Amino acid sequence: MLTLGLDVGSTTCKYVLIDEKGEIIAKTYERHNTKQAEKVLEFLEKLEEEHGFTPGRDRVYITGSGGGLIGELIGARFVQEVVAVSTAVEKLHPNVRFVSEIGGEDMKTIFFHGEGDKKTRQVFMQSACAGGTGTFIEKSARKLGISPEKLSQMGYLGYQLHKVSSKCGIFAEADVNTLVKAGVPVEEIIASLFEAVVYQNLAVLTKGNTPRPEVLLLGGPNLFFKGLQEAWRHHLSRLWEERGVPIPEGKSPEELVIVPENALYYASLGCALTAMSEPETYGLYAGKDKLRWWVEEGQHEQKKKEGRRGLWKTREELESFRSEYEPQVFAYRNRKPYEGDIEEVVIGCDFGSTTAKAVCLSKDKEVLFSVYTLSKGNPIEDAKYLFRKIRERIGDAKVLGVGVTGYGKDLLKDIIGADVAIVETVAHATAGLHFFPDADCICDVGGVDVKIIILRNGAVVDFRLNSQCSSGNGAFLQGVAERFGIPLEEIAERAFSAQAMPTLTMGCGVFLQSDIVNQQRKGWNADEILAGLCYVLPQNVWIYAGNITNFKGIGRKFILQGGTHRNLAVVKAQVDFLKSKVPNAEVVVHPYSGEAGAIGAGLIALENWEKTGRTRFRGFETIENLVYKSTTSEDTVCRWCPIECRRTFIDVQLPGGKGRPWSKVPLPEGWVRIIVNNSCPKGLVEDKNELKAIKEEMERVRKEFPNVAQLIHKEAFNTRVEV
Amino acid sequence: MPLLSIFRKKTAQGCDYRIDRSHIKVGIPKFLNVWSTHRFWIGFLKALGIPAKNIVFSSDTSEEQYREFGKGRIGMDSCYPVKALAGHIGELLTTKKLDILLVPMIYSLPSFLKGHVMDTLSCTRVPMSVENIKAGFLKEGNEFEKHGVKFLNPFVSFAEPHLLPKQLYESLKEALDVTYDEVERAVREGLEELKRFDQKMRKKTREILEWCAQNNRPCILILARPYHMDPGIGHEIDAEFQSLGYPVVWGQYLPTDEDLMDWLFGADVEAGIIKSPFDISDVWTSSYSSNTNEIIWGAKFASRFPWITAVVRLSSYECGMDQPTYTPTQKIVEASGTLYFKFGDLDETKPSGSVKIRVETIDYYVKKYSPRIIERKLKRLEGRRVPGGFGE
Repeated sequence: MLTLGLDVGSTTCKYVLIDEKGEIIAKTYERHNTKQAEKVLEFLEKLEEEHGFTPGRDRVYITGSGGGLIGELIGARFVQEVVAVSTAVEKLHPNVRFVSEIGGEDMKTIFFHGEGDKKTRQVFMQSACAGGTGTFIEKSARKLGISPEKLSQMGYLGYQLHKVSSKCGIFAEADVNTLVKAGVPVEEIIASLFEAVVYQNLAVLTKGNTPRPEVLLLGGPNLFFKGLQEAWRHHLSRLWEERGVPIPEGKSPEELVIVPENALYYASLGCALTAMSEPETYGLYAGKDKLRWWVEEGQHEQKKKEGRRGLWKTREELESFRSEYEPQVFAYRNRKPYEGDIEEVVIGCDFGSTTAKAVCLSKDKEVLFSVYTLSKGNPIEDAKYLFRKIRERIGDAKVLGVGVTGYGKDLLKDIIGADVAIVETVAHATAGLHFFPDADCICDVGGVDVKIIILRNGAVVDFRLNSQCSSGNGAFLQGVAERFGIPLEEIAERAFSAQAMPTLTMGCGVFLQSDIVNQQRKGWNADEILAGLCYVLPQNVWIYAGNITNFKGIGRKFILQGGTHRNLAVVKAQVDFLKSKVPNAEVVVHPYSGEAGAIGAGLIALENWEKTGRTRFRGFETIENLVYKSTTSEDTVCRWCPIECRRTFIDVQLPGGKGRPWSKVPLPEGWVRIIVNNSCPKGLVEDKNELKAIKEEMERVRKEFPNVAQLIHKEAFNTRVEV
Repeated sequence: MPLLSIFRKKTAQGCDYRIDRSHIKVGIPKFLNVWSTHRFWIGFLKALGIPAKNIVFSSDTSEEQYREFGKGRIGMDSCYPVKALAGHIGELLTTKKLDILLVPMIYSLPSFLKGHVMDTLSCTRVPMSVENIKAGFLKEGNEFEKHGVKFLNPFVSFAEPHLLPKQLYESLKEALDVTYDEVERAVREGLEELKRFDQKMRKKTREILEWCAQNNRPCILILARPYHMDPGIGHEIDAEFQSLGYPVVWGQYLPTDEDLMDWLFGADVEAGIIKSPFDISDVWTSSYSSNTNEIIWGAKFASRFPWITAVVRLSSYECGMDQPTYTPTQKIVEASGTLYFKFGDLDETKPSGSVKIRVETIDYYVKKYSPRIIERKLKRLEGRRVPGGFGE
């Protein structure tokens, strides 16, 4: 009697065949290129032929993401993947305390606690996001033109490491592009990728537990990539040293971090081992006929059922949509800047991470003109550029007030002498309510982030900002179109040309990409796939990235803004989606989609001027002559978390600036510092010294204003206080 | 502003205890509704002859505490405030050298709304959390025995104070060698102490509110469960507003003085909409949960009191008790024009980045709309007698 352990994963299929003595007599690991069922059928044909694998006599146990469906067709018994892996590990490596298994599209860690019968395990997995998985490494390597063979031999130790976002595969791609452009050698980029993967695993999948020796590394990427193993050993040794984890004497990190010969087969092995501990009548192989039927017929029927109609129902419906929304979406194309004389203006600026914008408003809240620049990563340079352009246009006109929003707004306020520094949510809301006073919600989908702002009674009551995950943002759609060779401005029309479209799954962009490959194989063409993508975008925006479930609670009037809503097909999908959730929804497109933040800041500055009749604006001359120096060195590296972003300090001369005498890069009085190139808000605080200074200031204010909770803290649990 | 009036000194009573218990050290985890019964336990234990220095509470909840002491002790999935108990118990057990670990199963609570509502129960998870988390300390050998600690978890119903002596006596008689009479007297002392503390905090809150009225300054009301005062549970979101220069008051300790109640609720009582200022049946019918009732009442207070111009609601991830209250509290508050903001889904990690943007956003609107809100709410109260401290 033979036992087959079958593991049908997201990118590969694996099996081990075991004889009665428990010896492995055959094993195979192959990519299925999204054809799981075909691959398993091929395996079974080979097994029957070469090893006499027999229906009704031999047994099959199956696991993996495709295991459920295929298992039923061949009579296999299903074992949950983690259970399978743990079973194999416990049996083969009783001393292992921590397992990392990295697969094509998922990763998991298993912690083993306790001994013998009391052994318990704790499992953490990530499967909805590609950050840190095998696909993440391969995708990036492919982009760099590195063959899989070469990739497997590339190292980690000794290379200079760079920041690669580990949290999202799509962002990682962008980071890799930047590094390539900056001329960083590929070896260093790959080493940085390994670093990112290990970091992501340790950051996301340990949940406060310390991985203790011995450690077992499983799965394709861990086995194939020598550099990844080096990265694990490096990080784990450092972690053990830091946390004082006792290490068995005389053992080197190589011996404690094991990559077993059969690293690819642990799930399959676990299946076979489970089978051996269960009655022999379980999981009897039923033959491959049903599976063959599925491959040849069943799945195609399924495909037909899965598809859906295109983005529109009837020609008339599409035309009426066009006549309503084209003028709104393309308003920006026909708009000409104000050409007349300008005597007085209010300026609003929005310093974003990728672009900086400014608008000039009249006293009557009319938008006169706007200026725009791609961010140079230095807000001072951006500000100089914007104000130079404004001056060219308005000459000696009087500046009534200036408002700023976006990055570093509080410091920029002092540096340029703005009257108000406005948090971006408020800036967007103010602009939205200016054009649509009865709006309930603003949905801003930009190139790299998604913002959803919920309004009530003229105030922002709730909002979602997502810049951690690329799913649902415009860059993704653009990326797919680029791969199909479709120019950005044609996406919408191509999508509208599709009569039917595949149903794509909402969620992580990286998986969407593999889903797209899958759909292409099924015969869907580029236009249809783009339609499917536009269709799924609102779901990603609202549900996946925005985490919104109660749409009626939001209200009924929605404003769409941000660059992605210049795509008419996306707007159509949004309108249909919102109307399906809120039947009486009214959806409008912001007339100044991209400048909303700057307009909001300007409007609030105008309000301030109406109230005070004054401005603190320091003048164009002062801005033009701003003196600054920027520093990027070991001393500016962010030490708040292991990512260690290489930040840049931009120090600007400003009368009255407090300076930073305590800093590693000391700053004298009369200067202020803007920190850039951080990747999270924490990095805006320079280091522990600054945190201390901030806390002291907060304490000072807190002393002046009471908080009942603080009284409770002081007295409620103090047994020595008499009440 | 003047804040702390001088502590009322209590004269030491010459107590002679039946036996000397001055060497016994008792630890109490600072979890869930211990945050609303704190002073009871102190008063109660002191009255039994346990000296102040031997009554110890665990630290505030923190991620470190949770990881270091609570890890692997949690057998069920629950809201974080429940799970955090494991960290508290673990910490007390391993760092405090205790004789007794007192972890009350609080079934119902003392409440100023008692008599005006159906009941004043705790969330069912509050009493049950104790047994659940305890199990985590028994599964790999008895951790309490290992540390030489007696684990006592009396079931207590503060809504029926006459039952407390029996409940506590049954649980403590052996460990503390106490008589029923001693416990009965100690319960009385404990309840008295809790009541005094409660009154003192309400008085403080009144002082704060009066200061706001006299200076015409906006004030922020936090509506949350009492344990959101724990920095590890509420993540000090209240303090963020304090550092922006807003006085912050909590729903649990709003003043209930007659003059103020008449000013705010008198019209509704006279119109027959409610039976008393503490009646919440006009907006909340299933008034069983004590904390929920107080949150709802706090919302009503906020909607009437002029200088509370914004309500900030805190709520923990997956709180089944809070879920049905979101819409009513929001509607009650917003209908009066008062601003309402919610920080939901709080978990073990402080969401620093988003809290900062959120607080800045709220700050903008509170500054912008407060003068208008105060004016509008004052107008609604016109014609009623203004209580002392809130007028000209």
